[in-house]
Amino acid sequence: MKKYLSYLLVLVFFSIHATEKDSLSLFKKYDFSNRVGIFEEEEDCDACGCSASGGSMGFASMLTTNFIGIRYFNQSYKSTDGLYSNSPWYDENFNTIQVWGRIPIVKNVQATVLLPYHFHNRESNNGKQNISGIGDITLLGMYQIVQTKSDSLFFKHTLQLGGGVKMPTGKFDETNNGSVNPSYQVGTGSWDYLLATEYIIRRKNWGLNNMVNYVIKTENDKSYRFGNQFNYASTLFYLVEKNHFSYAPQLGIAGELYEDNYQRGQKVRGTAGDIFLGKLGIEIGKNNFSFGANYMIPIQQNLTGGNVEANYRWSLNLNYML
Amino acid sequence: MKFQLKNLALAIMTTIALTSCSNDDDNAPISGEGSLKLEFDNVYGDADLIFGTEYTNSNGEKVKPNNAIYIVSNIVLTKEDGTTYTVPKSESYFFVNEADAASTIITLPNIPAANYTSVKFGIGVDQEQFNAGADGQGDMWTTAQGLGMTWSWAAGYKFMKFEGTTTTTSHTDAVYRVHTGKTGDVYNYAEVTLNMPEKALVRTNVTPQVHIMADFKKVIDGTTKINFEEGLDVMGGTKVQNIMANNVPTMFEIHHVHND
Repeated sequence: MKKYLSYLLVLVFFSIHATEKDSLSLFKKYDFSNRVGIFEEEEDCDACGCSASGGSMGFASMLTTNFIGIRYFNQSYKSTDGLYSNSPWYDENFNTIQVWGRIPIVKNVQATVLLPYHFHNRESNNGKQNISGIGDITLLGMYQIVQTKSDSLFFKHTLQLGGGVKMPTGKFDETNNGSVNPSYQVGTGSWDYLLATEYIIRRKNWGLNNMVNYVIKTENDKSYRFGNQFNYASTLFYLVEKNHFSYAPQLGIAGELYEDNYQRGQKVRGTAGDIFLGKLGIEIGKNNFSFGANYMIPIQQNLTGGNVEANYRWSLNLNYML
Repeated sequence: MKFQLKNLALAIMTTIALTSCSNDDDNAPISGEGSLKLEFDNVYGDADLIFGTEYTNSNGEKVKPNNAIYIVSNIVLTKEDGTTYTVPKSESYFFVNEADAASTIITLPNIPAANYTSVKFGIGVDQEQFNAGADGQGDMWTTAQGLGMTWSWAAGYKFMKFEGTTTTTSHTDAVYRVHTGKTGDVYNYAEVTLNMPEKALVRTNVTPQVHIMADFKKVIDGTTKINFEEGLDVMGGTKVQNIMANNVPTMFEIHHVHND
């Protein structure tokens, strides 16, 4: 955890110093006219089924800074108990409908809210299983430290830094975690804390969004603690504006690193893991609405000791620009 | 400005880092009693043991098991401080029968709450119990008879039974029978001690389940190798002695412990 925190700190300071060297002004005025082209921060956060979930998948509107919307995402996994060489693999489907928004609070500060509803299902040796319910609500504050304004600059930069909390509003069912995928849950049952930073660099119609976040998870009342999670993503996008439409195709990478889970203070072997994904997406805006679609596919992974495999993830969203 | 930014970033991070520290140590003394479960998961090599499935041994012989039963007895649990808890002898004999899923999970009640690091048990019925005579067996002899786990009273209990069909150089799907127990004056009672890869945390509200792999390949294809070509029935003599002395003690392994 220390390692990741240091990494985060280094990254944040490096970004700050870099922009200072470029003698760009800090604490830029919030610019409502710059509605198009601010790539939303990657929404991090446990998509949940909690640990092996879409921590790095969140992508938000690149067409607007502030919005409220609805997003659906699907994560397909398969898992095995890993007990035998001939253990069967079962499919797991994690579905989430999320009300999400990013709302300006005061100058340079925005609040991000994620209200998920999960409905997951999976195969098992005794038939199909389903769980569903309200998930964990996340509140995140992002503070804009740097935003260059002038169009005459070769590069435009935006740097945001924030923190937040994920509340145990989703039910954590202890009986699920004796099973193969400890993340087959609608909530972690714990208060978790988030640190997030986002750095966007743009030139003309091109942009590159870089996101890093770290989720510190605490023990829930069933004495289970999911491993801390480090997420990162980098997305290249190209903004096209035609008549009343604007759209932005994007291509990127994302990754998640999970530390071990602990139960009653004891490490649960084989729960640490990592995944590295490629992603492809597009967002289309017209008037006050924007529509987004996103697809992610694993490039390299080792989840839950190799007993869980991610197949793919995809999402659709419809946002209303505030 | 730069200074201020640093402070801000640092302040946010230290605040979150500090406030998020959870107290993992439960300092309340552990007391009371709970239960512990031993799950015996029969496998063949690294594959799940499934009746009717054909497995190949290192000598090229093939086996299709259809019966696997053994007696687990005299369970002793060791706590992390090195002290032990012995399950009362009269409640410490269990028939693990692959054909009866419920029998493969042994629930031990009234276990003092503690962190346990190893488990010791025997395979078969020990000499002391056998010497208690017919009257000292309670229901156990009858239960054993029902499962075909006895010979005559003089010959005593069968400790382990492993049957099926085998294909060897000169046999095709011929019935093989491996029955172990005492051989004449040699008692052949086997003892096994297994360390737990994670501690079993017995509490009044936590029933750990210890998942034990029992590898039947080791019974006939372990240190001592059985060639069914030489004889389809293995029910006595040095073969049984070697199986109980060399193979059975190495066939068990704890895969993991659930502390739910």
